Amino acid sequence: MPREVALADALVPGLLLIYLGCLLVLWVIDTIIGRYGLYRYVWHPSLFRVAMFFVLFGAAGLILYP
Amino acid sequence: MSAVPTDISAWRNPPWLREFAAEESQAWIFVLKSLIAFYLAAWITMVFQLEQPSTTMVTVSIVMHPQSGTVLAKSFYRALGTCTGSLVGVLLIAAFPQQRELFLLSMSLWVALCAGGAVLYRNFMSYGFVLAGYTAFIVVLPAIDHPTAVFDSAVSRVSEVMLGIIVAGLVSDVVLPVRLRQVLRRISREHYKHFIDFARGSLGGAIPRAEMEGIHLRFVRAAVQIEDLRSSVIFEDPEARARSSRMQLLNLRYMAAATSFQSLHHLINRLQRNNHPRTAAALIKLYAPVGEALSPDPSEEPIPRLLATRLEACEPKLAPLAAELREDLRQDPELLLEFDSGTTLIRRFAAELRDFTSLEATLRETQGVLGRSVERVDFKRANDYAAPLIAIVRTFFTMATLSIFWVETGWPFGLSALLLATVFSGLLASSPSPLAATANTWFAYLAGLIAAFFVLFRLMPGSDGFVMLILVSAPLLALGPYLTTRAVTLPGVGAGYSLGFAYILALKNPMVYSPERFLNDSIAALLGLMASGAAFMIIPTVIGTQWLRRRQLVQLRRQVVFAATAPMDGILYRFESVNRDLYHQIVQFTRQGSEESHVLFSWALAVHDSGRAIIELRQDMAHADLPPPLLESMQRAVDALARLYDEPDKVRWQAADEAVDHAIVLTTQTLPQSRASCQPALADLLQLRTALRDDDSALTPYIVKAPETGHAA
Repeated sequence: MPREVALADALVPGLLLIYLGCLLVLWVIDTIIGRYGLYRYVWHPSLFRVAMFFVLFGAAGLILYP
Repeated sequence: MSAVPTDISAWRNPPWLREFAAEESQAWIFVLKSLIAFYLAAWITMVFQLEQPSTTMVTVSIVMHPQSGTVLAKSFYRALGTCTGSLVGVLLIAAFPQQRELFLLSMSLWVALCAGGAVLYRNFMSYGFVLAGYTAFIVVLPAIDHPTAVFDSAVSRVSEVMLGIIVAGLVSDVVLPVRLRQVLRRISREHYKHFIDFARGSLGGAIPRAEMEGIHLRFVRAAVQIEDLRSSVIFEDPEARARSSRMQLLNLRYMAAATSFQSLHHLINRLQRNNHPRTAAALIKLYAPVGEALSPDPSEEPIPRLLATRLEACEPKLAPLAAELREDLRQDPELLLEFDSGTTLIRRFAAELRDFTSLEATLRETQGVLGRSVERVDFKRANDYAAPLIAIVRTFFTMATLSIFWVETGWPFGLSALLLATVFSGLLASSPSPLAATANTWFAYLAGLIAAFFVLFRLMPGSDGFVMLILVSAPLLALGPYLTTRAVTLPGVGAGYSLGFAYILALKNPMVYSPERFLNDSIAALLGLMASGAAFMIIPTVIGTQWLRRRQLVQLRRQVVFAATAPMDGILYRFESVNRDLYHQIVQFTRQGSEESHVLFSWALAVHDSGRAIIELRQDMAHADLPPPLLESMQRAVDALARLYDEPDKVRWQAADEAVDHAIVLTTQTLPQSRASCQPALADLLQLRTALRDDDSALTPYIVKAPETGHAA
């Protein structure tokens, strides 16, 4: 994964794209969990959500930029 | 001796102390959250080596708000506003790099439009507009003398503002969050219980008008409040999002049932007033089974499901009972018609109440996703374009004046004044008393500056490292969020203080100490704030003024025109929700018990009553196969009513009365041939006539007492 990506001739850090992608993935997971009411088994839903995002973003970042 | 311990315990823990403690703990939780957000934002900005941690802190102080509950998802709108604002800033610089007049003109226009948007969208979207204006400005600010640097400036400003938004959202979502969902659940159950209790007990005797006014207000508040909460909760909770359309449907059913109930109550009241107690008593008797169905044995838990089944069981009983009661009445055709229309109302109310309770039951019994989708309904807001337009004009003139002043004097800190004017014309534009708020903000801003001066030039030079920075600035910074929680008694003070403090502190890494910049910037900021206050003085706000209230009352009246002419698709919800929203907006600024509030209430009742009957009539006309001449006369009646409510006068009242009367006569003649299709339409027409001839309604001044012989001739 290149460190910088040219989007319409503007150099954008690759991490930003990963960040946005992770937000999208988080949103999908969040919707699925919410749809089936699984947040009832979670103590602190928003903390859970934030933690999940950190895990996603951390994993993606570390895998793509070793 | 025995009295002493109780005395002490009462003294030790009196109710006012408990209340005070609860309030204070809420306030201090918010202070804690704000401080965490402030320093986390500043720290992250420094770690990322962005240019101005102060921008992040200013953003945090703009968006942190104690009442907003969880704001993580609302940050979406704010992020959208930031991106748009920065894009506009870059575009404007690109378009007019050498033309300061054109540039400032278009910048003023942009900021003015943002302020207008902030007024138009009264909910959480309004912050997005404020930020769109603010970001456009701070992007341009450093680049104004070297336009080539605008892109870099835009990137770092957007990063800083975004960081501020995200940190503020994260902190309020994760640290001791206020769960709006629980609030929504509690409030909607309270309203449900209140409504059922009310429907159970109140038809026996007449309710005085003043009390009815209060009850109506409560119904309206309930509907608007639930909708407000629902639209915020869906951002906080995906589970609520999945159930959102059903909650909207529930609110619709609630509003529909409340309207029917009020129409019914109005009818019975009028019958009693006009010396027809027997008819009124018959209707009350007919209502009795509904009341019974609502009061199950105390041994049984009064859950909604039980009430729904009981209501369903009672519905078939109503028709035979009505026939029986009808036999007993004096056989006066007019009174029988009144009774019939009352019967239809009661049956409609019972059916609506059943739908309402069964949906409430479904919502309570199930969790998570619910099966098949339901009818989509949307709560429509009543927007008046006058207030936003005035905000746009006012902000434009503020910005233009400040720009001209800046250009003409060559004042190096003119941009700071412009920046402050931008932020506060957006933030304060939707306040009902912006002058007082601006004055408060101004003094608070000054206090923030003084506090920051002390911190910046006394404490900070001797401190070292981030922990020391927190230690020296936190105590005085904490005052700002604390004052924000006192927004009811001290409007604008908290925002002014924190903004002034965070802005002038101008945190940087490494820190720059420059007293002359401090003084110049402070003066400029205070002047900008003063300019926006002066603008509020010159072009006063219309929110809450008599003029706007009158305008909104006309809009409320024209809701009947809407009911008569709008396309049928989803009309009921739009009608009911706009009615409530308008009423709610007007009533906020009217004194309870005043003449104005009586007038408002009687118009609201008349509009609810007739509008709903018109909608029902139009539905009957669309579905039932009525003979064409009959349809035509009904359509004429609907049109005549629309004209009457569009601009009421005696001639129009007479025309409407005649048209409705004509339709009633025709329908009564056709009744024996096709009872099934004519009966409901007849009931609606009767309700319309009742509303028209009501001598205790808003239409009273326009009623022409037609001589009885006139009809016969």
